[in-house]
Amino acid sequence: MNDALFAQLSTLGSSLALLFGITLLWRRSLSAYISAFRWQSAALSALLVAIGYLGDDPELYFVAIFFAALKVIALPYYLTRMEKQLGGERESQPYVNVATSLILSGLLVLLAYAVTRPLVIVSTLPTRGGLPLAVGLIFVGLFVVVTRKKALTQIVGFLVLENGIALLAALATFGIPLIVELGVFLDVLMGFLVMQVFVYHIHGTFESIDVDQLSELRY
Amino acid sequence: MQPIFLLLIFSYCFGALMALLFGASALGRVLAGTGAAVGAGAGILLGAGVIVSGAPFQWSAPGLLPTAGGLALGLDALGGFFLALIGVGALPAAIYGVGYSAAYAPGSVSLRQLGVMFNLFLLTMSLVTFADNVLTFLLMWEGMSLTSYFLVVSEPGQPGTVRAGVWYAAMTHAGLALLLAAFVLLINGGSSAFADLRVTAGEITPGLRGAIFLLAFFGFGSKAGLIPLHVWLPRAHPAAPSHVSALMSGVMIKMGVYGLLRVGLDLLGGGPTWWGALVLAVGAASALLGILFALMENDLKRLLAYSSVENIGIVFIGVGAAMLFGAKGLPAAAGLALIAALYHALNHTAFKGLLFLGAGAVLHATHTRDMNRMGGLIRTMPRTAFFFLIGSLAIAGIPPLNGFVSEWLLFQSLLPGVGLAQPIVAALVTLAIGMLALTSGLAAAGFVKAFGITFLAIPRSPEAAPTRQSSHEAAPSMQWGMGLLVASCLLLALTPTWIVPGLARVIAGLAGVGDALPSFTLGLSLHLGDGFADVSPLLAALGLLVVLGLAPGAMALARVNRSLRVSDSWGCGRVDQTPRMEYTATSFAEPLRRVFAELYRPTKELTIDFHPESRYFVQSIEYRSEIRGWFEEILYLPVISAIQWLSRYVRLLQSGSLHGYVSYLFVVLILLLATILWSGG
Repeated sequence: MNDALFAQLSTLGSSLALLFGITLLWRRSLSAYISAFRWQSAALSALLVAIGYLGDDPELYFVAIFFAALKVIALPYYLTRMEKQLGGERESQPYVNVATSLILSGLLVLLAYAVTRPLVIVSTLPTRGGLPLAVGLIFVGLFVVVTRKKALTQIVGFLVLENGIALLAALATFGIPLIVELGVFLDVLMGFLVMQVFVYHIHGTFESIDVDQLSELRY
Repeated sequence: MQPIFLLLIFSYCFGALMALLFGASALGRVLAGTGAAVGAGAGILLGAGVIVSGAPFQWSAPGLLPTAGGLALGLDALGGFFLALIGVGALPAAIYGVGYSAAYAPGSVSLRQLGVMFNLFLLTMSLVTFADNVLTFLLMWEGMSLTSYFLVVSEPGQPGTVRAGVWYAAMTHAGLALLLAAFVLLINGGSSAFADLRVTAGEITPGLRGAIFLLAFFGFGSKAGLIPLHVWLPRAHPAAPSHVSALMSGVMIKMGVYGLLRVGLDLLGGGPTWWGALVLAVGAASALLGILFALMENDLKRLLAYSSVENIGIVFIGVGAAMLFGAKGLPAAAGLALIAALYHALNHTAFKGLLFLGAGAVLHATHTRDMNRMGGLIRTMPRTAFFFLIGSLAIAGIPPLNGFVSEWLLFQSLLPGVGLAQPIVAALVTLAIGMLALTSGLAAAGFVKAFGITFLAIPRSPEAAPTRQSSHEAAPSMQWGMGLLVASCLLLALTPTWIVPGLARVIAGLAGVGDALPSFTLGLSLHLGDGFADVSPLLAALGLLVVLGLAPGAMALARVNRSLRVSDSWGCGRVDQTPRMEYTATSFAEPLRRVFAELYRPTKELTIDFHPESRYFVQSIEYRSEIRGWFEEILYLPVISAIQWLSRYVRLLQSGSLHGYVSYLFVVLILLLATILWSGG
């Protein structure tokens, strides 16, 4: 009984995370990107608590708290502030349009299922149903980075990719040691800060945060 | 042995560290030079110790770099000889460098970088001779190449320096690629320790052995500067600071000889006749073409660089003859040829180092390398002129100096090859003897030019004029450096009866050469056994001293009661003599340029401006003649343009678009996963 609930919960949580990830692909305004990221992180925190409770690993509660503090509160706050300072930029012309993006992301999730199939077959974890979804989330995050033009949307794409990795780690291992988890959080924070500095510089130089313009730097 | 080894490592590291800490200050220069000099001295002691005692030195640290066998160091007699050779070149160069580097204009050269790289260069080059497995060898070899690259580009502000660096880096890395291939084939999946390779090399098929040898020969040949791989020498040697040129030309190119002996004769254990024939032919071609190109140069350091090609060619003639005789079953002649080759390598270190240091002193004083702007320097820098004269005599093979001894030995060792049963081989050896003789003669002409145009007659330009402040004698440390090399030239010249038995120990372990020692009778003179001639440089020197001592005495006697008159030489009736009447460097070499016109293919351009009224009145004549390197154009231009063509397409990858770069990552990830899926299921 407990195992069945665990399996259902983890699949549900992973699906929610993936759904919020895919949401990015058909929204245009940056504020929609940020709120999708916030909801995704919230879903992941909840999933972490569930895994901690059902998998009997109290350390995960701490991880969930840090996770929520960083990714539900701190990062979305900074992202919103940046968006305001840079003035309502929209992801108006991505490299791949919305319809094609959705089809491609569907294919990517299929690929994720295909890739993880051998692992899922041999695995006895109750959480194994979420593994393909986590890999799919990683793919979708990378896809956002590749196809979206604005620096801010790329940052969100990177954070979604990071969420995918965190989800995969939680599902596959029931929580890696706390110290490693903390290191990863610090990494994300540092990476975000560096990217933030770069975005301001790009904006200052090009009057825009279209990453396209960087091709002028080529020698 | 152990303390000397540690002293060697420690002092080079000390020198590098001091250069790093104190940089361009006088203290930093002196300490960096001291570290290098002490390390070089330790190298001489250790090398000589291993040769004399006959006990190899071992030191290994398998824990250091655990992949591929770790760092394994060992010094046998062959390595010991080359370690000592490094010391012979490096000790004076380090002393000289202290004074030489002081003269650079502030900001033009980073003396910190120069000091650090100089010490690291010597350290890695010394460790090449210690290498006892493939990893250590290649690692130290690459360290030597990289540090010497940084030494070449010490003066990036000078025109041509960066280009010279690119040529050097390209050639040396092409060589490294060949060496990597050779060692991969040689290891063949087994152990990479040299001791194991000696055993397993016997099981390799002859075809593969030939391939390994060819790869190694051309790989080491690019470092040694054999024709046609010599193109970096005349570019990099002039660009580098002079004491570095002395080391690169006098010492580093010998590492190519060491590598070939190590791989060809030690690890592979010798091979069929064609190996030796190839080395002999390439060596003879390098010797002759090297000196022919040297003769046409008006840039003093380029001339010396081409002369290095010549001398390394002579060394390879000896090596090739040794391999050839070894394959033909003539161990005594093979041993003698190899001894002659190593002797010449050592001699070349002494006199070419001396000449480069002398050229550096001249450059230091006149700030030009163009010989047509020099002249008359013997009056402002008499000591440098004397040192340079000794070096020129030695390199030209004038008895009783050291160049003569080794070239004489080489001639003696080649003679038995003339009677070999295989006609082609006999013809090749005979041809090599002829080319060697021609080379020696041309070398004498070349160094008459180098010394005469630079130091004699009257100054050809304001830079060389004695009234100028800049034309001055070299600093004391520079004179000490050159003096040390003069001393080594004389020592090497007068003591062949001690050096030759030492060299016989060095080559004792190599394939095909047998034990050469019994064939010598040693004493005051060198008796080479039946069928060879005798020589006694010591007696020759004594005789010469007597003659030279008598001559001034006789002249003094003849001049009694006659007053000494100092005057101009006869100027064909002209009252005033100007530098424009002198022989120039170009005109001195003009006869040879005509004789070998087919080789040089000079371009000529004659422009005559006539007076508009009459063709009998000429207003000006302009004659321009250049020697283009057609040789390099044929061989290297196609390669260079092919690489440039290829790199245009590679450059498409660098689109400049950030999305492009990220999508490379994405696409590769997807493709990899798809491949795993497809292949593994």
